[in-house]
Amino acid sequence: MKTIDLVERIEGEAKLSCSWKNGVICDASIDFLNFRGFEYILKGKSPLDALVYTPRICGICGQAHLKASVEALEDIYKNLNEPLTLTPKSLLLREIGLNIEIIDSHIKWFYMFIMPDIVKLQNSDLGIYTPLKGSRWLEASKTASETIKGLALIGGQWPHTSYMIPGGVMSDPTLLELTSIQNYMDYAIRFFENSISGVDFDTYLSFSNIKDLDLLKGDLEYFKNIAITNSLQKLGTSHDRFISLASSSLFDEGIIRQRTAYKIDLGKIKESSEHTFSLNKEENNSSKTTWSKSVSYNNSFFETGPLSRALISKESNRKFIKELHKQYNDSAMVRVLARMDELAHLLESTKNLISKVDISEESFIKPKYSLKDIENGQGKAVVEACRGSLYHNVIIQNGKIKNYDVITPTVWNLGPKNKNENGVAQEAIIGSPNIEIAKIILRSFDVCSVCTTH
Amino acid sequence: MTNKQKPTIVWFQAITCNGNTHSLLSANSARLELFLNSFDLIYHPSLTVDKTLEDILNQKEKIDYLLVEGAISSNKDIFALKNSTTNDLLNKLALKANYIIAVGSCACYGGIHKKFEEDKTISGIKENINEKILKNLKHEIINLNGCPVHPEWILQTLFTLKAYGKISLDKEKRPIELYSTLAHHGCTRNEYFEWKIEGSFGEKEGCLFYEQGCRGPMTHSSCNKILWNDISSKTRVGMPCIGCTENDFPRNDMLETKKNIGIPQDVPLGISKRAYLSLTGIAKTFKIDRLNKKLME
Ligand code: SF4
Repeated sequence: MKTIDLVERIEGEAKLSCSWKNGVICDASIDFLNFRGFEYILKGKSPLDALVYTPRICGICGQAHLKASVEALEDIYKNLNEPLTLTPKSLLLREIGLNIEIIDSHIKWFYMFIMPDIVKLQNSDLGIYTPLKGSRWLEASKTASETIKGLALIGGQWPHTSYMIPGGVMSDPTLLELTSIQNYMDYAIRFFENSISGVDFDTYLSFSNIKDLDLLKGDLEYFKNIAITNSLQKLGTSHDRFISLASSSLFDEGIIRQRTAYKIDLGKIKESSEHTFSLNKEENNSSKTTWSKSVSYNNSFFETGPLSRALISKESNRKFIKELHKQYNDSAMVRVLARMDELAHLLESTKNLISKVDISEESFIKPKYSLKDIENGQGKAVVEACRGSLYHNVIIQNGKIKNYDVITPTVWNLGPKNKNENGVAQEAIIGSPNIEIAKIILRSFDVCSVCTTH
Repeated sequence: MTNKQKPTIVWFQAITCNGNTHSLLSANSARLELFLNSFDLIYHPSLTVDKTLEDILNQKEKIDYLLVEGAISSNKDIFALKNSTTNDLLNKLALKANYIIAVGSCACYGGIHKKFEEDKTISGIKENINEKILKNLKHEIINLNGCPVHPEWILQTLFTLKAYGKISLDKEKRPIELYSTLAHHGCTRNEYFEWKIEGSFGEKEGCLFYEQGCRGPMTHSSCNKILWNDISSKTRVGMPCIGCTENDFPRNDMLETKKNIGIPQDVPLGISKRAYLSLTGIAKTFKIDRLNKKLME
């Protein structure tokens, strides 16, 4: 038997085709049938215009694209032996901005994309979680929009600002504004305490044991109970291999394979278009089913995102998720809890970063020459975005963009299979007992079709 | 008020980054709640759970307001939704709609997606909707331009239509009240503009018109009157206006000012270049100490 489902309530749309055997999914394919061609669009443009274009790859992770663009452009200067000087202040303001965007995205993901499906597993009435109407849904939406004000104070607005520029940032916040950003973070922390975890924030952050799962109250307790009733602590497991390309104050780069951690070598990343549609129709055949490419590291698929980041983080960090993973592997439940755990740690870490900003430093130091004066240059950058590792690689020639390659987190997670193995989400979905569970597992990766195909 | 009496809204997403959706979700939360209580948003692909697009296509009832986010194409090979082209779906929905609102520059003119030249059919909704359908609408199509559109502009337009049934539009079919003034209005850097004091990235002081490419003086928008996320705007923090509410967005070299022999190529709307230059000459003779100093030490 075969079924085809068009999955909505993700960012964009995905086509999920499943084959069934003895009541479980024995094969699945996740296809994205739309393509917007950003890499084509960027060709021939002036390098700085990439700062306006790439955030528009995605309405929810535009700041990650902006940061990747600006750092890839700065890498060009570095590769030409003219590295730019950046003040700690400008670096902090970039990281704070990106963190706030991830915080916003995690809150929305849990309440808009995860909870309605979870609650539906046992109730036809979604109650306070009903989209657009339920009190908790509205509260979550309010918390997200309060939080994002913090980014607007640095970037002017959200979505779609281009406040980062080679040499620093365009803005110059005051202490009053930095204090306001702290206030917005505190607002989100209260929401985390009162509604998400139901426990005091510091208590939550001290969780380090599998037993701490029982201390959860609030929406995470509700989620966990339904998840366990429906075996989501066992379902949704994939290759159990993880990658995180970038480091920041909270994240570390690395890969984990069979529980051993290794260093990253960007040269081992390979994109493949084996199953990807081509713009040249003649090249398309029945093995081409999606606009997503696939990406592998050292010829294997790796999961990227909050679960990977928690597991790759330094020894003492993120203990709670590491323990959960030991017990329940890379199951759908652990993947969801890892993202919400990251939310808490991001809030804490962002508050700390804000307190480190020294407003007497410069925000921007002008580069000695313009990118337009560069004959040949190449630069790349990696950034940890909401959904995982993002990679930009830009080549400029005669002052214009010659080639721009973007590998988004969702290409790691949602790309099609290759000769050796299933794609990460595809592998996770296989074994699902019904389509509702399959869709929750798919959503546990935080699907963004616009990013996947860009 | 019962549910039945509330006007219905269908939000259709075509070729987009979802930025307008996230803009709406970032609206002032009291306003968003009032909006959700006053209208019945029966379908949005990423938000609602009760109905699918299929249900909407099959329903007999009219849709009061059809909001479209994203550009439209008739090429199914590159962009397909529900196994159809976005052009096809748009026309099916438009047939049922009383009002159609283009939300964001992509829906208005094709926006950033129109730059994807490998698909030559990408354009705004107006060019894609069948002429006959246009005649049956209760109002001409309303363009809420912007990349993304400001959430308040969506809410104010809908509330106005609900109350009065119509809204006055400019020649680009944008609501006059939202787009008659320029981004320049309300910018906190106006005094620097007036006395021709150049800004630099990363500073609170100075105007971004001379070097950084600010389009504030030639861009119709109320970004500096109705602040973003309730508190901010690009030019307030130090990012130049990139003119995203005009039909020529995105232009080339948006973060620098195009000049000929040191003179900005485009001058503020409604003033001749010559007049502008004499004015500049005079303004520059004033050395205003206050404005040449840092605002805060
Ligand atoms: S920064 Fe732009 S909007 Fe502000 S005063 Fe200068 S030209 Fe006008």
